[in-house]
Amino acid sequence: MSLRDNAIVAYAETKVMEKSDRDVWVLAGEILEELLDKTGIAKDEIDGLVMAGLTGTGAANPFWAQTTADVLGLEVGFCEQVHTGGCSAAGCVARAAAAIDYGMCDVAFLLFADTHVLEDRTDHSHSYRREWTDPYGLMGPPGAFGLLTRAYEAKYGLDYRMLGKLAVTQRNHALLNENACEKLRVPITIDDYMNSRIIADPIRLLDCVMRTDGAAGLLMMSRKRAKEKGLSKCIIPIGYAERTNFKGGENLVDVTKSGHEICGKKALGAAGIGIKDVASFHPYDDFIIAIMLQFEAFGFCKAGEGVQFIRDHDFSYNGDLPLNTGGGQISAGQAACSSHNLVEAVRQLRGEGGQRQVKDTRNALVTGIGWINYGRNWGSSAALVLVPE
Amino acid sequence: MSEAIMAKALNDTLGVKRTIKHFDFSEPYWEGTKQKKLLIQYCKATGKYQHFPRPVSIFTGRRRDIEWREVSGKGVVFSYTITERGTPAFRGAEPYAVVSVTLDVGVNFIANIVNCKAEELKIGIKVKPYWHPLDDGTHLLMFQPDRDAA
Repeated sequence: MSLRDNAIVAYAETKVMEKSDRDVWVLAGEILEELLDKTGIAKDEIDGLVMAGLTGTGAANPFWAQTTADVLGLEVGFCEQVHTGGCSAAGCVARAAAAIDYGMCDVAFLLFADTHVLEDRTDHSHSYRREWTDPYGLMGPPGAFGLLTRAYEAKYGLDYRMLGKLAVTQRNHALLNENACEKLRVPITIDDYMNSRIIADPIRLLDCVMRTDGAAGLLMMSRKRAKEKGLSKCIIPIGYAERTNFKGGENLVDVTKSGHEICGKKALGAAGIGIKDVASFHPYDDFIIAIMLQFEAFGFCKAGEGVQFIRDHDFSYNGDLPLNTGGGQISAGQAACSSHNLVEAVRQLRGEGGQRQVKDTRNALVTGIGWINYGRNWGSSAALVLVPE
Repeated sequence: MSEAIMAKALNDTLGVKRTIKHFDFSEPYWEGTKQKKLLIQYCKATGKYQHFPRPVSIFTGRRRDIEWREVSGKGVVFSYTITERGTPAFRGAEPYAVVSVTLDVGVNFIANIVNCKAEELKIGIKVKPYWHPLDDGTHLLMFQPDRDAA
Protein backbone atom coordinates (compact mmCIF):
# COMPACT_ATOMS: atom_id res chain seq x y z
CA MET A 1 0.00 0.00 0.00
CA SER A 2 1.13 3.52 -0.66
CA LEU A 3 -0.24 7.02 -1.12
CA ARG A 4 -1.37 6.27 -4.66
CA ASP A 5 -3.43 3.26 -3.58
CA ASN A 6 -5.92 5.75 -2.12
CA ALA A 7 -8.63 7.79 -3.73
CA ILE A 8 -10.56 10.99 -3.17
CA VAL A 9 -14.04 9.83 -4.12
CA ALA A 10 -16.04 13.01 -3.55
CA TYR A 11 -15.78 16.67 -2.60
CA ALA A 12 -18.22 19.15 -1.11
CA GLU A 13 -18.06 22.89 -0.56
CA THR A 14 -20.26 25.68 0.79
CA LYS A 15 -20.33 29.13 -0.69
CA VAL A 16 -17.73 31.42 0.86
CA MET A 17 -19.32 34.02 3.13
CA GLU A 18 -18.03 37.36 4.43
CA LYS A 19 -19.39 36.19 7.78
CA SER A 20 -21.24 32.97 8.39
CA ASP A 21 -24.95 33.20 9.16
CA ARG A 22 -24.88 29.75 10.79
CA ASP A 23 -22.77 27.79 13.24
CA VAL A 24 -19.60 26.03 12.09
CA TRP A 25 -21.18 22.65 12.90
CA VAL A 26 -24.17 23.43 10.70
CA LEU A 27 -21.67 23.97 7.87
CA ALA A 28 -19.95 20.69 8.83
CA GLY A 29 -23.32 18.92 8.67
CA GLU A 30 -23.99 20.35 5.22
CA ILE A 31 -20.65 19.00 3.99
CA LEU A 32 -21.25 15.56 5.52
CA GLU A 33 -24.71 15.37 3.99
CA GLU A 34 -23.46 16.38 0.55
CA LEU A 35 -20.65 13.80 0.61
CA LEU A 36 -23.01 11.01 1.69
CA ASP A 37 -25.57 11.99 -0.94
CA LYS A 38 -22.98 12.19 -3.71
CA THR A 39 -21.46 8.77 -2.98
CA GLY A 40 -24.30 6.74 -1.52
CA ILE A 41 -21.98 5.80 1.33
CA ALA A 42 -23.80 5.12 4.60
CA LYS A 43 -22.86 7.32 7.54
CA ASP A 44 -21.78 4.28 9.55
CA GLU A 45 -19.20 3.38 6.93
CA ILE A 46 -17.21 6.50 7.82
CA ASP A 47 -14.63 5.40 10.38
CA GLY A 48 -12.06 8.17 10.03
CA LEU A 49 -12.38 11.89 10.80
CA VAL A 50 -9.46 14.05 9.68
CA MET A 51 -9.82 17.77 10.36
CA ALA A 52 -7.64 20.69 9.47
CA GLY A 53 -6.28 22.33 12.60
CA LEU A 54 -6.26 25.72 10.93
CA THR A 55 -9.42 26.86 12.66
CA GLY A 56 -10.20 30.09 14.46
CA THR A 57 -13.50 28.83 15.84
CA GLY A 58 -12.08 25.56 17.20
CA ALA A 59 -8.71 26.97 18.24
CA ALA A 60 -9.37 27.13 21.98
CA ASN A 61 -10.90 23.66 22.23
CA PRO A 62 -8.22 20.97 22.65
CA PHE A 63 -10.90 18.36 21.90
CA TRP A 64 -12.08 19.92 18.65
CA ALA A 65 -12.02 16.84 16.41
CA GLN A 66 -13.53 14.58 19.09
CA THR A 67 -16.27 17.11 19.87
CA THR A 68 -17.02 17.42 16.17
CA ALA A 69 -17.22 13.62 15.79
CA ASP A 70 -19.73 13.61 18.64
CA VAL A 71 -21.82 16.42 17.17
CA LEU A 72 -21.99 14.63 13.82
CA GLY A 73 -22.67 11.21 15.35
CA LEU A 74 -19.51 9.63 13.90
CA GLU A 75 -17.80 6.63 15.53
CA VAL A 76 -14.27 6.42 14.18
CA GLY A 77 -11.08 4.42 14.48
CA PHE A 78 -8.96 7.36 13.42
CA CYS A 79 -9.62 10.86 14.79
CA GLU A 80 -7.07 13.42 13.77
CA GLN A 81 -6.48 17.14 13.65
CA VAL A 82 -3.69 18.29 11.36
CA HIS A 83 -1.64 21.24 12.56
CA THR A 84 0.47 22.51 9.70
CA GLY A 85 -1.41 25.79 9.28
CA GLY A 86 -2.26 26.49 5.65
CA CYS A 87 -0.68 23.15 4.70
CA SER A 88 -3.28 21.31 6.77
CA ALA A 89 -5.77 20.63 3.96
CA ALA A 90 -3.20 18.92 1.74
CA GLY A 91 -1.72 17.36 4.88
CA CYS A 92 -5.11 15.83 5.71
CA VAL A 93 -5.08 13.97 2.36
CA ALA A 94 -1.66 12.44 3.11
CA ARG A 95 -2.56 11.53 6.69
CA ALA A 96 -5.91 10.03 5.71
CA ALA A 97 -4.12 7.91 3.09
CA ALA A 98 -1.56 6.81 5.67
CA ALA A 99 -4.30 5.87 8.13
CA ILE A 100 -6.16 3.89 5.46
CA ASP A 101 -2.92 2.16 4.43
CA TYR A 102 -2.18 1.28 8.04
CA GLY A 103 -5.67 -0.06 8.60
CA MET A 104 -6.79 2.48 11.16
CA CYS A 105 -9.80 3.37 9.03
CA ASP A 106 -11.42 2.42 5.74
CA VAL A 107 -13.46 5.50 4.87
CA ALA A 108 -12.10 8.87 5.91
CA PHE A 109 -14.10 12.08 6.14
CA LEU A 110 -11.78 15.06 5.65
CA LEU A 111 -13.46 18.12 7.13
CA PHE A 112 -12.40 21.71 6.58
CA ALA A 113 -14.93 23.86 8.43
CA ASP A 114 -14.25 27.20 10.04
CA THR A 115 -16.10 30.40 10.90
CA HIS A 116 -13.14 32.52 11.99
CA VAL A 117 -14.94 35.74 11.11
CA LEU A 118 -18.06 34.87 13.10
CA GLU A 119 -16.14 33.41 16.05
CA ASP A 120 -12.35 33.61 16.31
CA ARG A 121 -10.63 32.03 19.31
CA THR A 122 -7.12 32.19 17.90
CA ASP A 123 -4.51 33.07 20.52
CA HIS A 124 -0.91 33.83 19.52
CA SER A 125 0.19 34.92 22.99
CA HIS A 126 2.43 31.91 23.64
CA SER A 127 4.70 32.63 20.68
CA TYR A 128 7.62 34.85 19.73
CA ARG A 129 5.14 37.56 18.84
CA ARG A 130 4.59 38.77 22.40
CA GLU A 131 8.21 39.75 22.94
CA TRP A 132 9.70 40.18 19.50
CA THR A 133 7.11 41.58 17.07
CA ASP A 134 3.99 42.79 18.94
CA PRO A 135 5.99 45.47 20.83
CA TYR A 136 7.03 46.88 17.45
CA GLY A 137 3.56 46.85 15.86
CA LEU A 138 4.55 44.38 13.16
CA MET A 139 1.16 43.51 11.78
CA GLY A 140 1.13 39.70 11.50
CA PRO A 141 1.22 38.30 7.97
CA PRO A 142 1.03 41.60 6.01
CA GLY A 143 3.95 43.00 8.02
CA ALA A 144 5.99 39.84 7.57
CA PHE A 145 5.27 39.78 3.83
CA GLY A 146 6.14 43.47 3.64
CA LEU A 147 9.61 42.67 4.99
CA LEU A 148 9.88 39.65 2.70
CA THR A 149 8.75 41.52 -0.40
CA ARG A 150 11.19 44.37 0.08
CA ALA A 151 14.05 41.94 0.71
CA TYR A 152 13.16 40.17 -2.55
CA GLU A 153 12.99 43.47 -4.40
CA ALA A 154 16.43 44.46 -3.10
CA LYS A 155 17.91 41.17 -4.25
CA TYR A 156 16.27 40.70 -7.64
CA GLY A 157 14.18 43.75 -8.49
CA LEU A 158 10.40 43.49 -8.71
CA ASP A 159 7.87 44.71 -11.27
CA TYR A 160 4.75 45.05 -9.15
CA ARG A 161 2.56 45.19 -12.24
CA MET A 162 3.35 41.54 -12.85
CA LEU A 163 2.07 40.71 -9.35
CA GLY A 164 -0.97 42.67 -10.45
CA LYS A 165 -1.33 40.39 -13.45
CA LEU A 166 -1.65 37.39 -11.10
CA ALA A 167 -4.21 39.26 -8.99
CA VAL A 168 -6.30 40.04 -12.08
CA THR A 169 -6.12 36.44 -13.36
CA GLN A 170 -7.31 35.06 -10.05
CA ARG A 171 -10.06 37.66 -9.83
CA ASN A 172 -11.28 36.71 -13.30
CA HIS A 173 -11.50 33.13 -12.09
CA ALA A 174 -13.53 34.15 -9.03
CA LEU A 175 -16.00 35.86 -11.38
CA LEU A 176 -16.60 32.40 -12.87
CA ASN A 177 -16.87 30.71 -9.46
CA GLU A 178 -20.34 30.87 -7.93
CA ASN A 179 -18.96 29.67 -4.59
CA ALA A 180 -16.48 32.55 -4.32
CA CYS A 181 -17.28 35.27 -1.78
CA GLU A 182 -19.75 37.65 -3.45
CA LYS A 183 -17.91 40.73 -2.17
CA LEU A 184 -14.86 39.72 -4.19
CA ARG A 185 -16.69 38.92 -7.43
CA VAL A 186 -15.98 42.34 -8.92
CA PRO A 187 -13.62 42.73 -11.89
CA ILE A 188 -10.26 44.42 -11.27
CA THR A 189 -7.47 45.72 -13.50
CA ILE A 190 -3.72 45.88 -13.00
CA ASP A 191 -4.16 49.60 -12.32
CA ASP A 192 -6.71 48.81 -9.61
CA TYR A 193 -4.10 46.52 -8.06
CA MET A 194 -1.37 49.16 -8.26
CA ASN A 195 -3.67 51.85 -6.81
CA SER A 196 -5.15 49.73 -4.03
CA ARG A 197 -4.59 51.01 -0.51
CA ILE A 198 -1.17 50.37 1.03
CA ILE A 199 -1.45 48.16 4.12
CA ALA A 200 2.18 47.45 5.04
CA ASP A 201 4.24 49.06 2.30
CA PRO A 202 4.97 47.51 -0.18
CA ILE A 203 1.99 45.20 0.52
CA ARG A 204 -1.24 46.53 -0.96
CA LEU A 205 -4.83 45.63 -0.15
CA LEU A 206 -5.14 43.58 -3.36
CA ASP A 207 -2.06 41.55 -2.36
CA CYS A 208 -3.84 40.27 0.71
CA VAL A 209 -6.18 37.42 1.41
CA MET A 210 -9.47 38.32 3.13
CA ARG A 211 -10.65 36.17 6.01
CA THR A 212 -14.04 34.67 5.25
CA ASP A 213 -16.21 31.81 6.52
CA GLY A 214 -17.15 28.53 4.92
CA ALA A 215 -16.60 24.80 4.82
CA ALA A 216 -15.47 22.06 2.48
CA GLY A 217 -14.76 18.37 2.71
CA LEU A 218 -13.48 15.28 0.94
CA LEU A 219 -14.22 11.60 1.26
CA MET A 220 -11.32 9.17 0.90
CA MET A 221 -10.92 5.40 0.77
CA SER A 222 -8.64 2.86 -0.88
CA ARG A 223 -8.83 2.67 -4.67
CA LYS A 224 -9.79 -0.96 -4.27
CA ARG A 225 -12.78 -0.09 -2.09
CA ALA A 226 -13.77 2.76 -4.40
CA LYS A 227 -13.78 0.35 -7.32
CA GLU A 228 -15.82 -2.21 -5.37
CA LYS A 229 -18.32 0.53 -4.55
CA GLY A 230 -18.53 1.49 -8.21
CA LEU A 231 -17.46 5.07 -7.47
CA SER A 232 -16.34 6.83 -10.63
CA LYS A 233 -14.20 9.89 -11.35
CA CYS A 234 -11.90 9.21 -8.42
CA ILE A 235 -8.89 11.46 -7.86
CA ILE A 236 -5.62 9.85 -6.83
CA PRO A 237 -2.89 11.50 -4.74
CA ILE A 238 0.37 10.34 -6.33
CA GLY A 239 2.93 12.53 -4.59
CA TYR A 240 3.03 14.43 -1.33
CA ALA A 241 5.68 16.06 0.81
CA GLU A 242 5.82 18.75 3.47
CA ARG A 243 8.56 20.68 5.23
CA THR A 244 8.18 22.51 8.52
CA ASN A 245 10.74 24.99 9.87
CA PHE A 246 12.92 25.00 6.75
CA LYS A 247 16.51 25.77 7.79
CA GLY A 248 15.27 26.05 11.37
CA GLY A 249 18.69 25.04 12.63
CA GLU A 250 20.31 28.02 10.96
CA ASN A 251 20.18 31.62 11.99
CA LEU A 252 20.62 33.93 9.00
CA VAL A 253 18.85 32.50 5.96
CA ASP A 254 17.91 33.63 2.47
CA VAL A 255 14.27 34.66 2.99
CA THR A 256 13.49 34.23 -0.72
CA LYS A 257 14.00 30.46 -0.34
CA SER A 258 11.41 28.20 1.28
CA GLY A 259 10.72 24.58 2.15
CA HIS A 260 8.89 24.29 -1.17
CA GLU A 261 12.29 23.70 -2.77
CA ILE A 262 12.52 20.45 -0.85
CA CYS A 263 8.94 19.25 -0.78
CA GLY A 264 8.36 20.20 -4.42
CA LYS A 265 11.19 17.95 -5.61
CA LYS A 266 10.07 15.17 -3.30
CA ALA A 267 6.37 15.28 -4.26
CA LEU A 268 7.05 15.58 -8.00
CA GLY A 269 9.65 12.82 -7.73
CA ALA A 270 7.17 10.51 -6.02
CA ALA A 271 4.61 11.40 -8.69
CA GLY A 272 7.15 10.68 -11.42
CA ILE A 273 6.52 13.93 -13.26
CA GLY A 274 8.64 16.96 -14.00
CA ILE A 275 7.63 20.54 -13.27
CA LYS A 276 7.06 21.17 -16.98
CA ASP A 277 4.45 18.39 -16.96
CA VAL A 278 2.26 20.21 -14.42
CA ALA A 279 -1.10 20.72 -16.13
CA SER A 280 -2.66 23.13 -13.64
CA PHE A 281 -1.19 24.84 -10.60
CA HIS A 282 -3.14 25.51 -7.40
CA PRO A 283 -0.67 27.22 -5.07
CA TYR A 284 -1.46 28.49 -1.61
CA ASP A 285 -2.06 32.22 -1.90
CA ASP A 286 -2.10 34.33 1.23
CA PHE A 287 -0.25 37.13 -0.58
CA ILE A 288 0.23 37.49 -4.32
CA ILE A 289 4.02 37.40 -4.05
CA ALA A 290 3.79 33.95 -2.43
CA ILE A 291 2.62 32.62 -5.82
CA MET A 292 5.65 34.10 -7.55
CA LEU A 293 8.01 32.73 -4.90
CA GLN A 294 6.50 29.30 -5.50
CA PHE A 295 7.09 29.54 -9.26
CA GLU A 296 10.74 29.89 -8.33
CA ALA A 297 10.88 27.34 -5.51
CA PHE A 298 9.15 24.60 -7.50
CA GLY A 299 11.41 25.21 -10.48
CA PHE A 300 8.91 26.62 -12.99
CA CYS A 301 11.65 29.22 -13.38
CA LYS A 302 14.97 30.06 -11.77
CA ALA A 303 15.35 32.11 -8.58
CA GLY A 304 14.90 35.79 -9.38
CA GLU A 305 13.10 35.10 -12.66
CA GLY A 306 9.56 34.99 -11.29
CA VAL A 307 8.56 38.32 -12.83
CA GLN A 308 9.73 37.25 -16.27
CA PHE A 309 7.92 33.93 -15.87
CA ILE A 310 4.69 35.78 -15.09
CA ARG A 311 5.21 38.05 -18.10
CA ASP A 312 5.72 35.04 -20.38
CA HIS A 313 2.71 32.93 -19.38
CA ASP A 314 -1.06 33.01 -19.43
CA PHE A 315 -2.42 31.74 -16.13
CA SER A 316 -6.11 31.86 -16.98
CA TYR A 317 -8.11 28.63 -16.96
CA ASN A 318 -7.68 28.35 -20.73
CA GLY A 319 -4.07 29.57 -20.73
CA ASP A 320 -0.82 27.61 -20.84
CA LEU A 321 -0.56 27.21 -17.05
CA PRO A 322 -3.97 27.48 -15.38
CA LEU A 323 -3.56 29.00 -11.90
CA ASN A 324 -6.01 28.80 -8.98
CA THR A 325 -8.96 28.48 -11.30
CA GLY A 326 -11.49 29.06 -8.53
CA GLY A 327 -10.02 32.49 -7.81
CA GLY A 328 -7.54 31.35 -5.21
CA GLN A 329 -8.01 32.41 -1.64
CA ILE A 330 -7.21 36.00 -2.50
CA SER A 331 -10.20 36.31 -4.81
CA ALA A 332 -12.54 33.62 -3.45
CA GLY A 333 -11.90 34.33 0.24
CA GLN A 334 -9.79 32.60 2.89
CA ALA A 335 -12.33 30.13 4.19
CA ALA A 336 -12.77 26.45 5.02
CA CYS A 337 -9.35 26.07 6.67
CA SER A 338 -7.67 27.20 3.43
CA SER A 339 -8.84 24.11 1.55
CA HIS A 340 -10.45 25.72 -1.48
CA ASN A 341 -7.47 25.49 -3.83
CA LEU A 342 -7.29 21.75 -3.09
CA VAL A 343 -11.03 21.28 -3.61
CA GLU A 344 -10.84 23.27 -6.86
CA ALA A 345 -8.07 20.99 -8.15
CA VAL A 346 -10.21 17.92 -7.40
CA ARG A 347 -13.18 19.54 -9.15
CA GLN A 348 -11.10 20.37 -12.23
CA LEU A 349 -9.62 16.87 -12.52
CA ARG A 350 -13.15 15.45 -12.40
CA GLY A 351 -14.05 17.72 -15.31
CA GLU A 352 -16.59 19.62 -13.21
CA GLY A 353 -15.07 23.09 -13.59
CA GLY A 354 -18.05 24.37 -15.57
CA GLN A 355 -17.36 27.74 -17.22
CA ARG A 356 -13.77 27.66 -15.97
CA GLN A 357 -12.94 24.04 -16.85
CA VAL A 358 -9.28 23.55 -17.78
CA LYS A 359 -8.52 21.55 -20.92
CA ASP A 360 -5.59 19.54 -19.60
CA THR A 361 -6.71 17.35 -16.70
CA ARG A 362 -3.75 14.96 -16.65
CA ASN A 363 -2.70 16.23 -13.23
CA ALA A 364 -2.80 19.14 -10.78
CA LEU A 365 -0.22 20.46 -8.32
CA VAL A 366 -1.66 21.79 -5.05
CA THR A 367 0.46 23.49 -2.40
CA GLY A 368 0.29 24.75 1.15
CA ILE A 369 1.89 27.52 3.16
CA GLY A 370 1.48 27.57 6.89
CA TRP A 371 2.31 29.91 9.75
CA ILE A 372 4.50 32.98 9.84
CA ASN A 373 7.89 32.64 11.49
CA TYR A 374 10.26 35.32 12.76
CA GLY A 375 11.89 37.36 10.02
CA ARG A 376 11.87 34.57 7.42
CA ASN A 377 8.97 33.66 5.12
CA TRP A 378 6.71 30.91 6.43
CA GLY A 379 6.84 27.94 8.77
CA SER A 380 5.43 25.06 6.72
CA SER A 381 5.44 24.24 3.01
CA ALA A 382 3.54 21.40 1.32
CA ALA A 383 3.07 19.96 -2.16
CA LEU A 384 0.48 17.46 -3.37
CA VAL A 385 0.20 16.01 -6.87
CA LEU A 386 -3.22 14.72 -7.94
CA VAL A 387 -4.27 12.77 -11.02
CA PRO A 388 -7.62 11.41 -12.19
CA GLU A 389 -8.11 7.63 -11.88
CA MET B 1 6.69 52.13 -3.61
CA SER B 2 4.08 54.84 -3.52
CA GLU B 3 5.24 58.45 -3.68
CA ALA B 4 2.54 59.44 -1.23
CA ILE B 5 4.27 57.46 1.49
CA MET B 6 7.71 58.82 0.72
CA ALA B 7 6.45 62.35 1.25
CA LYS B 8 5.04 61.57 4.71
CA ALA B 9 6.97 61.72 7.93
CA LEU B 10 7.40 58.47 9.80
CA ASN B 11 5.98 58.25 13.29
CA ASP B 12 8.56 57.13 15.86
CA THR B 13 5.92 55.14 17.87
CA LEU B 14 7.54 56.30 21.14
CA GLY B 15 4.10 57.30 22.43
CA VAL B 16 2.69 53.79 22.10
CA LYS B 17 2.03 52.10 25.45
CA ARG B 18 3.76 48.72 25.63
CA THR B 19 3.48 46.01 28.28
CA ILE B 20 5.55 42.97 27.39
CA LYS B 21 5.17 39.55 28.96
CA HIS B 22 8.56 37.80 29.00
CA PHE B 23 9.31 34.13 28.56
CA ASP B 24 11.48 32.93 31.44
CA PHE B 25 14.19 31.79 29.03
CA SER B 26 14.53 35.30 27.60
CA GLU B 27 14.68 37.04 31.00
CA PRO B 28 18.50 37.61 30.80
CA TYR B 29 17.89 39.68 27.68
CA TRP B 30 15.39 41.93 29.45
CA GLU B 31 17.59 42.20 32.56
CA GLY B 32 20.38 43.46 30.30
CA THR B 33 18.18 46.14 28.80
CA LYS B 34 17.76 47.73 32.25
CA GLN B 35 21.38 48.92 31.84
CA LYS B 36 20.87 49.45 28.07
CA LYS B 37 23.01 46.40 27.40
CA LEU B 38 22.15 44.27 24.40
CA LEU B 39 22.63 40.59 25.29
CA ILE B 40 22.28 38.05 22.49
CA GLN B 41 22.43 34.26 22.86
CA TYR B 42 25.70 32.69 21.74
CA CYS B 43 26.31 29.01 21.06
CA LYS B 44 29.67 28.00 22.52
CA ALA B 45 29.78 24.77 20.52
CA THR B 46 29.37 26.36 17.09
CA GLY B 47 30.54 29.93 17.71
CA LYS B 48 27.31 31.38 16.32
CA TYR B 49 24.75 33.83 17.69
CA GLN B 50 20.99 33.30 17.60
CA HIS B 51 17.96 35.58 17.94
CA PHE B 52 15.18 35.45 19.13
CA PRO B 53 16.12 33.77 22.44
CA ARG B 54 15.47 30.04 22.73
CA PRO B 55 15.72 27.54 25.60
CA VAL B 56 18.31 25.59 23.55
CA SER B 57 20.92 26.25 20.90
CA ILE B 58 19.16 26.03 17.54
CA PHE B 59 22.45 24.72 16.15
CA THR B 60 23.05 21.82 18.55
CA GLY B 61 19.77 21.34 20.43
CA ARG B 62 21.61 21.61 23.77
CA ARG B 63 20.72 23.96 26.65
CA ARG B 64 24.26 23.83 27.95
CA ASP B 65 25.76 25.32 24.80
CA ILE B 66 23.98 28.65 25.29
CA GLU B 67 25.50 31.72 26.92
CA TRP B 68 24.59 35.39 26.75
CA ARG B 69 27.06 37.86 25.25
CA GLU B 70 26.90 41.62 25.14
CA VAL B 71 27.02 42.94 21.56
CA SER B 72 27.24 46.42 20.04
CA GLY B 73 23.79 46.48 18.48
CA LYS B 74 25.22 48.05 15.36
CA GLY B 75 24.08 46.71 12.04
CA VAL B 76 22.54 47.38 8.65
CA VAL B 77 18.91 47.47 7.58
CA PHE B 78 18.12 44.13 5.92
CA SER B 79 14.51 45.02 5.10
CA TYR B 80 11.70 47.29 6.25
CA THR B 81 7.97 47.79 5.91
CA ILE B 82 5.95 50.93 6.50
CA THR B 83 2.69 50.20 8.25
CA GLU B 84 -0.25 52.29 7.14
CA ARG B 85 -2.83 50.50 9.28
CA GLY B 86 -1.31 49.39 12.54
CA THR B 87 -2.12 46.76 15.13
CA PRO B 88 -4.72 47.91 17.73
CA ALA B 89 -2.10 49.24 20.17
CA PHE B 90 -0.48 51.24 17.36
CA ARG B 91 -3.65 52.84 15.94
CA GLY B 92 -3.08 56.54 15.46
CA ALA B 93 0.70 56.07 15.28
CA GLU B 94 0.69 55.29 11.55
CA PRO B 95 2.62 55.49 9.35
CA TYR B 96 5.46 53.81 11.20
CA ALA B 97 8.35 51.69 10.05
CA VAL B 98 9.28 48.21 11.18
CA VAL B 99 12.82 47.28 10.23
CA SER B 100 14.71 44.01 10.17
CA VAL B 101 18.33 44.76 11.02
CA THR B 102 21.24 42.40 10.49
CA LEU B 103 23.42 42.97 13.57
CA ASP B 104 27.19 42.83 13.18
CA VAL B 105 27.17 39.46 14.99
CA GLY B 106 25.01 37.89 12.29
CA VAL B 107 21.44 37.84 13.58
CA ASN B 108 18.39 39.65 12.25
CA PHE B 109 16.51 41.77 14.78
CA ILE B 110 13.05 43.20 14.06
CA ALA B 111 12.30 46.59 15.67
CA ASN B 112 11.11 50.15 15.10
CA ILE B 113 13.38 52.92 13.87
CA VAL B 114 13.54 56.46 15.27
CA ASN B 115 15.22 59.73 14.25
CA CYS B 116 14.81 58.59 10.68
CA LYS B 117 13.05 60.34 7.82
CA ALA B 118 11.12 58.29 5.29
CA GLU B 119 13.47 59.24 2.46
CA GLU B 120 16.46 58.20 4.56
CA LEU B 121 15.16 54.68 5.23
CA LYS B 122 16.74 52.31 2.76
CA ILE B 123 17.99 48.74 2.75
CA GLY B 124 21.67 48.75 3.65
CA ILE B 125 21.82 51.90 5.80
CA LYS B 126 23.88 51.62 8.94
CA VAL B 127 22.03 51.77 12.25
CA LYS B 128 22.80 51.74 15.95
CA PRO B 129 20.68 51.10 19.05
CA TYR B 130 18.13 53.50 20.48
CA TRP B 131 16.89 52.45 23.92
CA HIS B 132 13.28 53.33 24.66
CA PRO B 133 12.41 53.17 28.39
CA LEU B 134 9.43 51.08 29.47
CA ASP B 135 7.46 51.35 32.71
CA ASP B 136 8.94 48.15 34.20
CA GLY B 137 12.51 49.49 34.15
CA THR B 138 13.51 47.59 31.05
CA HIS B 139 14.26 49.25 27.73
CA LEU B 140 12.89 48.35 24.33
CA LEU B 141 15.57 48.10 21.66
CA MET B 142 14.89 50.30 18.66
CA PHE B 143 17.30 51.48 16.01
CA GLN B 144 18.39 54.87 14.65
CA PRO B 145 20.57 55.81 11.69
CA ASP B 146 24.28 55.62 12.55
CA ARG B 147 25.35 58.77 10.76
CA ASP B 148 28.88 58.67 12.23
CA ALA B 149 29.58 55.21 10.79
CA ALA B 150 32.02 55.12 7.93
